[in-house]
Amino acid sequence: MEKIKIIETKNLNKSFHDPVEFQALKNINIEIGQGEFVAIVGSSGSGKSTLLYVLSTLDTDYTGHIYFDGDDLSLKTKNQLAEIRNEKIGFVFQFHYLLPEFTVLENVCLPAMKLARFSDAEIKEHAYQKLDLLGLRDQALKKANKLSGGQQQRVAIARALINQPKIIFGDEPTGNLDSKNSQNVFDIFKELKDNFNQSIVVVTHDMHFAERTDRIITLSDGEVV
Amino acid sequence: MTQTPVIKIALTHLVAKKRQTIVAMLGVTFGIAIFIFQAGLMSGFQAYFIEETVNSTANIRIFNEAEKNRKGIISKLNDDKNHWNVVQNQKPKDEQNKIKNGYQIISILERDPRVAGVSPFLGSQAIFKVGISQIAGRVSGVDIIKENILFDVSKNMKQGDITRLETIPNGIILGDGLADLLGAKMGDNIMVTSPLGVNLDMKIVGINHSGLTEVDKSRAYINIRNAQKLLQVDGSYITDINIKLKDFALSEELAKYYHAKFGFRAIDWKEANASVFSVFKIQNLVTYLIIISILIVSGFGIFNILMMIIYEKMPDIAILKAIGYKDSDIKKIFLTESLIIGILGGLLGLVIGFIMQKIVGNIRMDIKGFVSMEYLHFNSSPGFYVFAFVFGLIATSIAGYIPARKAGKVDAIDIIRSK
Ligand SMILES: Nc1ncnc2c1ncn2[C@@H]1O[C@H](COP(=O)(O)OP(=O)(O)O)[C@@H](O)[C@H]1O
Ligand SMILES: [Mg+2]
Repeated sequence: MEKIKIIETKNLNKSFHDPVEFQALKNINIEIGQGEFVAIVGSSGSGKSTLLYVLSTLDTDYTGHIYFDGDDLSLKTKNQLAEIRNEKIGFVFQFHYLLPEFTVLENVCLPAMKLARFSDAEIKEHAYQKLDLLGLRDQALKKANKLSGGQQQRVAIARALINQPKIIFGDEPTGNLDSKNSQNVFDIFKELKDNFNQSIVVVTHDMHFAERTDRIITLSDGEVV
Repeated sequence: MTQTPVIKIALTHLVAKKRQTIVAMLGVTFGIAIFIFQAGLMSGFQAYFIEETVNSTANIRIFNEAEKNRKGIISKLNDDKNHWNVVQNQKPKDEQNKIKNGYQIISILERDPRVAGVSPFLGSQAIFKVGISQIAGRVSGVDIIKENILFDVSKNMKQGDITRLETIPNGIILGDGLADLLGAKMGDNIMVTSPLGVNLDMKIVGINHSGLTEVDKSRAYINIRNAQKLLQVDGSYITDINIKLKDFALSEELAKYYHAKFGFRAIDWKEANASVFSVFKIQNLVTYLIIISILIVSGFGIFNILMMIIYEKMPDIAILKAIGYKDSDIKKIFLTESLIIGILGGLLGLVIGFIMQKIVGNIRMDIKGFVSMEYLHFNSSPGFYVFAFVFGLIATSIAGYIPARKAGKVDAIDIIRSK
């Protein structure tokens, strides 16, 4: 049976023009399959983050093609890309980017309220399910900025999961965590993949982390090696 | 359907910046309060003045305008463009301002179903003399019963009764300012001298207060027959016919109609008071310029605080965009913030403006200027408040729009990368 592709790139190139002309991604041709847990590694400055932003529709300044869930992203408008991110993509960054004045529960609900596919009550219930999954139910009504770094990162993962995305992108999601919390985050990703067939792409320079994923994509000077 | 939590995010931002938000709000409050007070005073005064003036101006006035730039008789006889006719010291003809067949016109008008009242008028300059004091003014020769239908003269009587102008042959009603200047009281004898040198001994039978200061300082009512005596003209001589309509909105239209019908000049109350209205226009312009400047300043306050919030909340904007909020959603958040500031500040401004109106409106002023009034009159109609509020909201939305658009355009990766 042919594996379903979530992402496929064809001759993907990206250059920065400022301050000098600099090609950050060189002829990238990769595929990410449904249910795959992939790590992108490489030395600092090799283009890992740049690749992740392009794949996740945040950066549209590239040449070549990216097919996301069958659609050519280069044909989509800004608003359509926002809808794709809302519905089909979950993000976990190195810094958790929670809204500090909102409660944990409200933060987790934000993408679902934008999607507006369910009633407020249903959204709340889904949010509690995700918080349960991450062991955070008892923190739900606390302000986000009252939690520890590790807890906040888990809230960010819950937020990424709320709309049942096709794929989760992480840019060094454990970069700011101690080894115990890093281990914890990794275990969560692994669990999501094993139990829910969740596709996950994570940029990391933690080789110990990377080795336990399904596949490693290594970048060097903007090229896949 | 679930609403995006735009309002909640907006409120959160404002609460996080309580002090600056309050300052920006008070800017709007100040602008709106000044609006309510200043423009309310202006338009209240103007409405009062217009009412007073309109009440003392006929809906339509018919009169015979003296022909100006009259051609000399020689020009009429020898109207050749190639020749000059030189006449030195040409004087205007002793034009009769008389309305020919005035009383016939009046009886025609009285039968017109659109007319509520018609009053004949014959005016003259006059010198009033009581003892040794002597003042120049004007006499209005009227049929006081008819005049009363038009101008409600009896309402403005401070002393005496208008009917005595009919019952006492040499009765005269003085404006209160004029009586004060002369030092004259009810029942005093007064000598009235016309420009032709005719003297009439008259008796003061009433004191009148119209509210228009200039008028009250110079006008006296007398019976039209006495006015004809002063001017040495016959009993059919009148110079003006004043008309009150059942519907004063028809004034302009009917003025044209009567002009065409009778051939005399006929002007409606708006035309008669055109100079006053043009003064009001300038007054309004100045008032609104002041208010607009205040609102521009409060607009800068809003602009400032929004820019501050945007710079501080860049990470929030970035993550909202990453999780699928559109540029327009972000824009909405900040527009909502400016609207919240505008609505709260504006409502408070309305309340403060209302209180200022009430306080100042209850101070006895006894103004004697253009018009005399005991208290300041404010426009406090609901429509005026709505107008001020909407005006404020428009100003705040404009001030909020620029920062909001900027927030919508924030590039999420720039923020996420730079951490
Ligand atoms: N906005 C930018 N303008 C110019 N150059 C950039 C910009 N962002 C990244 N780069 C450059 O692109 C290269 C790849 O960056 P990045 O993808 O962040 O690397 P990594 O995440 O692998 O450390 C680096 O050399 C970096 O200097
Ligand atoms: Mg990076």
